[in-house]
Amino acid sequence: MSSRQPRILICGNLVWAHEDARQLFDGLADIVVMDSPNRPDFLAGLKTGGRYHGIVGIYRHNTSADHIGVFDEEIIDALAETGTVQWIAHNGAGYDQIDVLRCAKKGISVSNTPGAVDDATATTALYLVISCLRNYAWAEQSLRQGTFKSVLNPGRAHDVTGRTLGILGLGGIGLRLAHLVHAFPMRVVYYSRNKSANAPEWCEYIDSLEGLCRESDVLSVHVPLRNETVHLVGEKEIRTMKKGSIIVNTARGKVIDEEAMIRALADGHLSSVGLDVYPNEPFINPRLLEFPQNVLLPHMGTENQDSQRHMEVRALTNLRDFLRDGQGNDLIPELRSRL
Amino acid sequence: MLPRVLLCGEIKYVQDESKEMFHGIAELVHLVSESRSHFLSSFGPGGPYEGTVALYRLNKSSELIGKFDGPLIHALADKSMVRWIAQNSSGYDEIDVQACKERGKFLSQNQLFLTCMFVPGILVSNTPGANDDATASAALYLMLSCLRHFSMAERSLRSGTWKTPYNAAQTHDATGRTLGILGLGCIGLRFAHFAHAFPMRIIYFSRTKAESVPDWCEYVSSIEELCKQADILSLHVPLNQSTAGMVGEKEIRTLRRGSVLLNTSRGRIVDQEAMIRALEDGHLSSVGLDVYPDEPRVDPRLLTFPRCTLLPHIGGESAESYRRRELQALGNVKAFVLGGVGEDIVPELRTEIGKSTTL
Repeated sequence: MSSRQPRILICGNLVWAHEDARQLFDGLADIVVMDSPNRPDFLAGLKTGGRYHGIVGIYRHNTSADHIGVFDEEIIDALAETGTVQWIAHNGAGYDQIDVLRCAKKGISVSNTPGAVDDATATTALYLVISCLRNYAWAEQSLRQGTFKSVLNPGRAHDVTGRTLGILGLGGIGLRLAHLVHAFPMRVVYYSRNKSANAPEWCEYIDSLEGLCRESDVLSVHVPLRNETVHLVGEKEIRTMKKGSIIVNTARGKVIDEEAMIRALADGHLSSVGLDVYPNEPFINPRLLEFPQNVLLPHMGTENQDSQRHMEVRALTNLRDFLRDGQGNDLIPELRSRL
Repeated sequence: MLPRVLLCGEIKYVQDESKEMFHGIAELVHLVSESRSHFLSSFGPGGPYEGTVALYRLNKSSELIGKFDGPLIHALADKSMVRWIAQNSSGYDEIDVQACKERGKFLSQNQLFLTCMFVPGILVSNTPGANDDATASAALYLMLSCLRHFSMAERSLRSGTWKTPYNAAQTHDATGRTLGILGLGCIGLRFAHFAHAFPMRIIYFSRTKAESVPDWCEYVSSIEELCKQADILSLHVPLNQSTAGMVGEKEIRTLRRGSVLLNTSRGRIVDQEAMIRALEDGHLSSVGLDVYPDEPRVDPRLLTFPRCTLLPHIGGESAESYRRRELQALGNVKAFVLGGVGEDIVPELRTEIGKSTTL
């Protein structure tokens, strides 16, 4: 095959942005779709003579892991070995499915799509906050089972207004949630590795995770999953929260010690939890289902027609900018210092 | 002997406060009737409610003694000294306020030469405001759930199918969409305020263009216009003769295909059959309801549309709003007992007070 244009690989679902992709790469690159049913086939395709040979950049979506697995050391090394792959444009805010340290070592840049998910994810978190405080999931279950509201205790439901929301990690999503709850208002407190320069004055900084737990009626998790954030919210942190508190997690399941969380639900220390993520999706710990007051969503945080399209376009744009200008906008933090 | 206040419905959250409030002012007695006839015959000498001048009322009491319809109001006026009903809720559609008004005129005709004793029938107060925040939050919840199919996704998870029935392609964010509010009273305005945070475009229709309304609330001149432009239509009018069935076949079909309808007000404002037809043929993509025409009965057909979010009339219920409502209703009773008139008289009866003070 001979083509003067470089080739880019679409590795995972592209649902909305086909036309955008055509326009973005028109005259810039040929688009190749990854259609390998398994990893060996994919790896073979990367080699000389294989159908993915010569690709310089990849648009990646987590759904590709269903066929070829996550972008671990083996895949990163194989990509590096092509000698041509230089950019992975990931579609998603969380990129824990990519071994980014290995990418750094091998000279492959990685971008994600921060911001594009903020509104959708923050909206999911808002839904979980309201539903947990007001026991709405329980109420709907009761209605659908034919008991209307007779099994409910209104004393367990609380106003949103005036309660304290503790945000763990005031990045784009945390800040957007803060903005939405400020409309009630909830009191907003936060803890981040660094005090945020963008935070409005009504976002009160607390200088420790323990302090955040003490102050919060509802703790909402908004940190990415990294080695140092696994079980960041554990037994100690949960027990520091007030009795009757609520935890909401739209980040990653493994940030919370699930066993500690379940113990706290069982003895009533936590009145309920609102989760969109779990340590081992799509497996759900059946014990979570035993509490009718829990609000449990099947990892839908970012998914809706509007946000999906935004994210696809943003990832493709990062890839296009790399091709055209040598650099995409959303280079991930871990790789920025290396420039 | 102190005047009595009859509690048609139990006080749950402010028992201590209520004792303090009425100490030395009135005796609180509890509803012991299990039928309307027993209720109406108990206000006489020797009866359990003898000496009662005011009622504190919860809708739940209708399960025992029925709604406060015309016949009950007339009988109450004849057989008791009750001249104040303090409804605990902002909705008072279970009380026939016209009948309350009529009693006043009837008595005044009998008191022609005693005009200084004009008695304006039975007055009714409600508890406006106490539920505004809670109800508006419920509307917000229903909207997000309908736009994003959250309720359906939860049910799928709990039944073991993770997110299989869920199709992200059919869900939407709130930001940038148009919220149409029917009735920009306190609850409608509060909901608008939450929606504005995204922001959503806010349009509204009210009988009268609201005075002190933020400039981002756009007035439209008819319910048709509201339906034409709204992605989501939310109902915030009280239920009365002119609003019953106000959202019917014509209004629903004026909404664009795929629209969402929310109701946190009263079930009978909507023509339920028209709504269900629109769900069946997909004209409405979903509805978010906290209220139904005939609670606690829920039309089983509503349960067959997976994308709907259905709450059992608890939108306004939280420990805090419960307390607020109880204190507010009891406060209205207390003011009546002490001074002959309380606050929060319902709009339909406010003119009656006006008449009495001119005499």
